[in-house]
Amino acid sequence: MNILTLLIFTPILFALIIALLPSAWRSSFKFVTLLATLIQLGMSIWIYYNFKTGVSFAGINHESQFQFLQKLPWINLDLGALGKMQIDYFVGIDGLSITLLVMTSFVLVIAALASWEIKSNLKGFFVLFLILDMAVIGVFCSLDFFLFYIFYELMLLPLYFLIGMWGGARREYAAIKFFLYTLFGSVFMLLVMIGLYLSVTDPATGNHTFNIIQMMNPANYQPDSVFSVLSHQTIFGMPARTIGFVILFIAFAIKVPVVPLHTWLPDAHVEAPTPVSIILAGILLKVGGYGIIRICVGIFPEIAHADAYWLGLLGVISIIYGALNALAQQDLKRLIAYSSVSHMGFVLLGIASLTTEGLSGAVMQMVSHGFLSTMLFFLAGVVYNRVHDRGITHFRGLATIMPKYTAFVVVAFFASLGLPGFSAFIGEAFSLTGAFKSASVNGVLPYWMAVCGAFGILLGAAYFLWTLQRMFFGPVNLKGGSVWKTALTDLNFREKITLLPLALLVLVLGLMPSLVFDKINDSVVTFIQFLRLK
Amino acid sequence: MDNFLQAIDTLTIKFTLAAVLLPLLAFIINLAIPGKNNKITGWISTGAILASTVLSVFVFSRVWNSHQVHQLVTWFTIGDTKVYAGVLLNNLSVLMLLLVNLIALPVHIYSTAYMNNDKGYNRYFAFLSLFCFSMLALAVADNLVLFYIFWELVGFSSYLLIGFWFTRDKAVQANKKAFIMNRIGDIGLLTAILIIYATFHTFDINILFGPNSIIKSISFFNKGEWFTPLTGYFTIPGVSYHLDAIWQYVAFGGIFLAVAAKSAQFPLHTWLPDAMEGPTSVSALIHAATMVAAGVFLLGRVYPMFNNTELTILAIIGCFTAFMAATIALTQNDLKRILAYSTISQLGYMIMAMGIGAYSSSLFHLVTHAFFKCLLFLVAGIVIHQMAHVRDDNKLNIDPQSILNMGGLRKKMPLTFITALIGGLALIGLPFTSGYLSKDGILIQAFQWSEGKSFVYMLIPVFALLTTWLTAFYVTRLIVKVFFGDLRLLKTYPSAKLHITDGGWQYSVPLVILAAGSLFPFFALNPVAYEHSWLFKAFSTGSSPATERVFHIVVPVGVNILSVLVIYGAYVIYAGKKLNPFSPAGALWRLSFNEWYFDRFYNKYIIKPLMALCRGVFRFDRRVIDTFIHSIAYAGMALAKLAAWTDQYIIDGFLYLVTDIVKAIGNFARRFQGGKVQYYLYSMLVVILVIFLLKTLI
Repeated sequence: MNILTLLIFTPILFALIIALLPSAWRSSFKFVTLLATLIQLGMSIWIYYNFKTGVSFAGINHESQFQFLQKLPWINLDLGALGKMQIDYFVGIDGLSITLLVMTSFVLVIAALASWEIKSNLKGFFVLFLILDMAVIGVFCSLDFFLFYIFYELMLLPLYFLIGMWGGARREYAAIKFFLYTLFGSVFMLLVMIGLYLSVTDPATGNHTFNIIQMMNPANYQPDSVFSVLSHQTIFGMPARTIGFVILFIAFAIKVPVVPLHTWLPDAHVEAPTPVSIILAGILLKVGGYGIIRICVGIFPEIAHADAYWLGLLGVISIIYGALNALAQQDLKRLIAYSSVSHMGFVLLGIASLTTEGLSGAVMQMVSHGFLSTMLFFLAGVVYNRVHDRGITHFRGLATIMPKYTAFVVVAFFASLGLPGFSAFIGEAFSLTGAFKSASVNGVLPYWMAVCGAFGILLGAAYFLWTLQRMFFGPVNLKGGSVWKTALTDLNFREKITLLPLALLVLVLGLMPSLVFDKINDSVVTFIQFLRLK
Repeated sequence: MDNFLQAIDTLTIKFTLAAVLLPLLAFIINLAIPGKNNKITGWISTGAILASTVLSVFVFSRVWNSHQVHQLVTWFTIGDTKVYAGVLLNNLSVLMLLLVNLIALPVHIYSTAYMNNDKGYNRYFAFLSLFCFSMLALAVADNLVLFYIFWELVGFSSYLLIGFWFTRDKAVQANKKAFIMNRIGDIGLLTAILIIYATFHTFDINILFGPNSIIKSISFFNKGEWFTPLTGYFTIPGVSYHLDAIWQYVAFGGIFLAVAAKSAQFPLHTWLPDAMEGPTSVSALIHAATMVAAGVFLLGRVYPMFNNTELTILAIIGCFTAFMAATIALTQNDLKRILAYSTISQLGYMIMAMGIGAYSSSLFHLVTHAFFKCLLFLVAGIVIHQMAHVRDDNKLNIDPQSILNMGGLRKKMPLTFITALIGGLALIGLPFTSGYLSKDGILIQAFQWSEGKSFVYMLIPVFALLTTWLTAFYVTRLIVKVFFGDLRLLKTYPSAKLHITDGGWQYSVPLVILAAGSLFPFFALNPVAYEHSWLFKAFSTGSSPATERVFHIVVPVGVNILSVLVIYGAYVIYAGKKLNPFSPAGALWRLSFNEWYFDRFYNKYIIKPLMALCRGVFRFDRRVIDTFIHSIAYAGMALAKLAAWTDQYIIDGFLYLVTDIVKAIGNFARRFQGGKVQYYLYSMLVVILVIFLLKTLI
């Protein structure tokens, strides 16, 4: 059995178990879920160790270079004159997906540990959680656009319910906002997907295909098809491929999120329960970044090259705009949400640079942000669970009553603001390096963009340190008085064993970035070469 | 022979690594040691720094004025670019390595007593070791990425130590301010590194700025463009690559910001006085002797990349900062704040010296200043501690740092007084002290530099001279107010009981060591000629022009005669208590007392507008973007309602209409089948009639 397939469908198995278990055993559900995620993590680590590197395993646009491949015919319909409909169950990974896959498995374990706080309707929660688990893993493994799209849409459904049913006071508003935002993007994505399907033929069989790798090769496009590279078709007077790129980009940009398509994020985060916030920030946003690299840029490389300026500009705007917003927040979770917008801006800037440094930096930043946002939301959840309040100004001097908690907060905040020695520094620094180098290598981004991006690092320090100063330091002064003071106990064992690996991981990745770079370098270099040929 | 040399070099590198990593080890161990006030942590940190000092003495002896040692390993590969990590040992780095250790060791010893009763004893020594590690690593880092990493880590450990007493509001505000101000410098440095990397495709300090600096030798300016005709270092071979010349200036600007932030130069100097909220031992080590000198060290590292315009800018900023800080120090009443401003002022001298090309004098002053300023801070710490004891014993409501409460401590703490006097004289720069040697060099070379240039350039040496006299004045004021006269505290609280002493050996040993380092023999056998100093000679490049002879006599003699007069004047003013020449109402006095209003200016014109912008942006997010989204949602809802209405009234309406018509017809037709024969007959008749009628008509 293919390990990726196992990895994808293990959670479904456990979801079935939970669904079949009687509700009287509800207290065991969280352990079952944790077990499922731990098994997945074990498999991911196995995959990571057995992942081969070298030019001949670069992947990207060579199907044979992908690893842990599995390709099964799935939907094959003979449509008569229209040819044969060919949809494959096609999974495999290369350097672009491997690190994100491992990061995802890890974050899911943390999310499972954070689910201890869920008290109501446990069966529903954990079944949905595991379905979501399957979907996110599936997205990172799919190499067939149709399969990708199914997993991509499948993420939405559980999330909608998870936010809408287990969320905070305005959960329904947040859930519907999130749902509509993302649905808006993906509906148009469907159109582009069908357009691509009708344009691309599998050279082996002559059928139309959803194979993403074959979509990257211009030779596979039918000469006069709508997305053909050579025929320069137009839709409404605009080049068809540009439209296809923009639509796909918007769909993924909503996920990332890129300003101005980001306003679902703060609401969803604030209302979502901690485990869902963790999955949202840690994994969902990376799906956006991954989609932009693999699908937008991969399938429409020449458009990406032509429009990189605008992508970079949006990245810089996200960095600055997100950071400024974060400075204005009074709610801890909202602050972290806006900081995510800012940090994901570096990812977009790095991708837009179309340089090896920028792209590697972007992937590193995604991995790093996966761990760090997980840590931040978990930490925000700690205080919220104890006193059901997250107002930054409602707390003062937490360092005195919760010293261990504060120590982790300091680590998480400083790692997030890009202190060297932690992973975010490597991600941000090399995204910026790529952005700056771009002008001299391929000329797509002007110099000033990197300089403006660096300004975001300054603002990052400002909002995190201000929060530290207001919430954690100074004399003890709590809005809830002595009731809060007794409620605010320091970290318990479960919380400590959740936070410690995260803190160590961001530190280790900061000291040994080769853990990520060694796995992705070949793919990144190949990808950039592939782009340069356009 | 070569193998032997290499073996020795490898040994040197190993020793260096050990010297750097030992404090890190101490940091990790101290974090793991349970409890909050475990005395063993102090000895672990001190032991680590002692071992590190011994090792760095060895390294120093191997490398100083000998050959450069440079070894590196691949750290990681990103794409197709290798990033290295390595150690670069040359005169500058081993000097810094040794200096940091020599200052850190007495401070560690001092701290074991100074922090003895503090609740965060463990934490203090852990952080102190972290700082030492970062600072030592910064000194030997061989490439710009590593340099940046430790540059920031130094700032981070300084953040931790400034806010060491985190329950104090002032302390946490100060450490936030310090870190953010330093962050401004960091992004400057990062930008500069990006520019350098994009241009030269290497981070290696030795290749970039070493003896065969490629920035100096290969890049050149032509018609507003910055050319780097390298083939080996870049990705597109054979293409002569150029950048707008402006980017060379941007890189300079970035480095300048970095220097200004770390070394507290105008306009980023305001964090340093606030940083005095940290423990005094920390102020001595970090905010007087080592970390703040990192800016000067950075200038020393990247010196070859500056052109004359840029150097002149440095000179102007340094000179202005020196003067401005000295004027502020004149009127401050907080003991540590006065010393903080004097640090800023002295750092200004160093930056100015770099700007006027007095490279070796600048580094010389860095070293001498580290000793006497650290000494003065340690003295201040003892004095403050004693005042705090008096306050606590008698439950008084006084500020232990205010010099207005002090006085007459000369008799109670003789050793402290004598060492303070040595430190003070070195700070003023009187002969026989180390400060004289280094400051003298800067002043002489400043005059030499301005000679032959336009009159405006003369302002720099003139203001540097003025600053010397200002320094003499405020140092005398400080010493007199603290150590001479009577204890002013007793005027307000006549009944206060006093137990003021010099303290134990942990206090006196560091003071004596540092005081010894503040005297001339440590640096030169000739007490009046800075050129003879071993330290100056090591960095000095060429012979001095003949004109220097004149300045060499005129400047020091003039400066020192006037300095002595100023000291005497200040002594008369403050010890005699007869006349106060400065009216607190005067505009100049207020300018000085309010620290030139920098904080107020920044608050009003930068922080407040920025916060307003943030709130505005958030409102934009809520009001504009969300309103837009909501209006789309409303539009969707309206469309849906319209569709529902259409469904109900048009489509369904049509269907209803159809059914109604059918029904009406049915009802109508139903009547014809009522079951009565008469009706059937009538209807048949009607039908037949109609048919006939139609037939005849048509």
